[in-house]
Amino acid sequence: MRRVWRWAAALMPFIAAGALAAGANLLDEAGRERFRWGGTDELLYYPSGLMVRQAALGYETAAADIAWLRGIQYYGEHRQTDMKFDMIGHVMDIVADLDPAFIQPYIFGGFVLAQEMKKPDRGLQLLERGRIANPDNWNLAFEAGFLHYVCRHDFAAASRYFTWASRMPGHPEYVERFAAFASEKAGNRGMATLLWKRVLATGNKYMQEVARRELKGLGEEVQP
Amino acid sequence: MSRVLAVARNTIREVLRERIVLVLAIFGAALVFASQVLSPLALGEGKKVVTDFGLAGSSLLATLLAVFLGSSLLHKELDRRTIYAVMAKPIRRSEFLMGKFLGLWTTTGFLLAGMTLMVLALLTVVHHETPWILLGSLLLTLMELGIVTAFVILFSSFTTPGLTAFFTLGVIVTGSFAEQILYFGGQGESSLVAGLTGAFYWALPHLSTFNVRGMVTHGVAVPPERIAFGVSYALLYMGAVLTIAGAIFERRDFR
Repeated sequence: MRRVWRWAAALMPFIAAGALAAGANLLDEAGRERFRWGGTDELLYYPSGLMVRQAALGYETAAADIAWLRGIQYYGEHRQTDMKFDMIGHVMDIVADLDPAFIQPYIFGGFVLAQEMKKPDRGLQLLERGRIANPDNWNLAFEAGFLHYVCRHDFAAASRYFTWASRMPGHPEYVERFAAFASEKAGNRGMATLLWKRVLATGNKYMQEVARRELKGLGEEVQP
Repeated sequence: MSRVLAVARNTIREVLRERIVLVLAIFGAALVFASQVLSPLALGEGKKVVTDFGLAGSSLLATLLAVFLGSSLLHKELDRRTIYAVMAKPIRRSEFLMGKFLGLWTTTGFLLAGMTLMVLALLTVVHHETPWILLGSLLLTLMELGIVTAFVILFSSFTTPGLTAFFTLGVIVTGSFAEQILYFGGQGESSLVAGLTGAFYWALPHLSTFNVRGMVTHGVAVPPERIAFGVSYALLYMGAVLTIAGAIFERRDFR
């Protein structure tokens, strides 16, 4: 009996700590619902990228990854709730300030701004920023062409960007096909279908979801 | 040289006895594996996340270990009065200091190298790619660590552990801003401020010289000339700092 009591006494602090932690978490959850902290304004106070860059003390690329992960989390949360992504441009700008050679934030940020927020000019601005920092990257020029074609319906500009992309090192073969197709059949519905199919094949899971939706809108059958 | 190596060996043994080394090593390994857990959330950028977090984490942990462990290294010898026994032997104070420096640098360097190799192994196993170019970053970070360790030894040669850690962290922060300090000093109209910031710039270690983490993460190999310049700069700078440390320690009254 004595032994049992000794064990119980040894376990008591752990049980008490567990109870306190559970209580704290319950309180936090209740507060979250009541005061809505961590809600839609959560990134309003995200500092500027240049400031973070100075504060990163040489660890800018790791800080860029943290900002990137935070941006994706923000996008994912709002995608499931109100579909408002007001701060996404700000977060992607911060990532770009911290790591200008990180390509995905320009592409994803530009895509969300242009396609989801219906702000193609802002999206293209982010992509342009990426192109200035990475002038030899075909992907950024191709994405700019894509946004010009699909969001702004500026087929001439799209053709120009696809041609640019096709002249850059490392581009895949389909870029040349798009460049030729865009200049010949500008405005063709089939071209938009092909572009969205490329997003479906190469984009991240969120971009693929949008591509599926758009392809359905174009009357295409898409595998779920 | 054999006397210096004897002190260094002893310092490594002493440092390895500290629990904080084991704690930081476990924490470092956990950080590398945690970055792999995070990578699926990065929408296709998992490899970059693992590399960035791994390199940044290894550098940060090794620096913290050098600062916090090194700051009490000399103080302990003085506090326990073991230094009298050492000084009674035919060894110069500067040799003793050099041995301490080499011992501390080797230990922290092993932590750094171990974590970087862990990142390499993880990338090989999970991402099926072995970016050997990370070794260029490892070498330069090792040099940066050498400079930080030299400063720890310099400050601990004349002040308390707390102040040593504080001063060294100050050097790391200002050393990361060295170029900006020079730039902003040159923007004003005062030639005195420009002169002072210029002097400050030349006195501070230019730690950004050793930061090639962003470069290797994006698959760009560090040019051999840059490595050669970095290593030469670090060795010269360490030599300068340790010379001052030796001169101060030679004159220090142990009572």
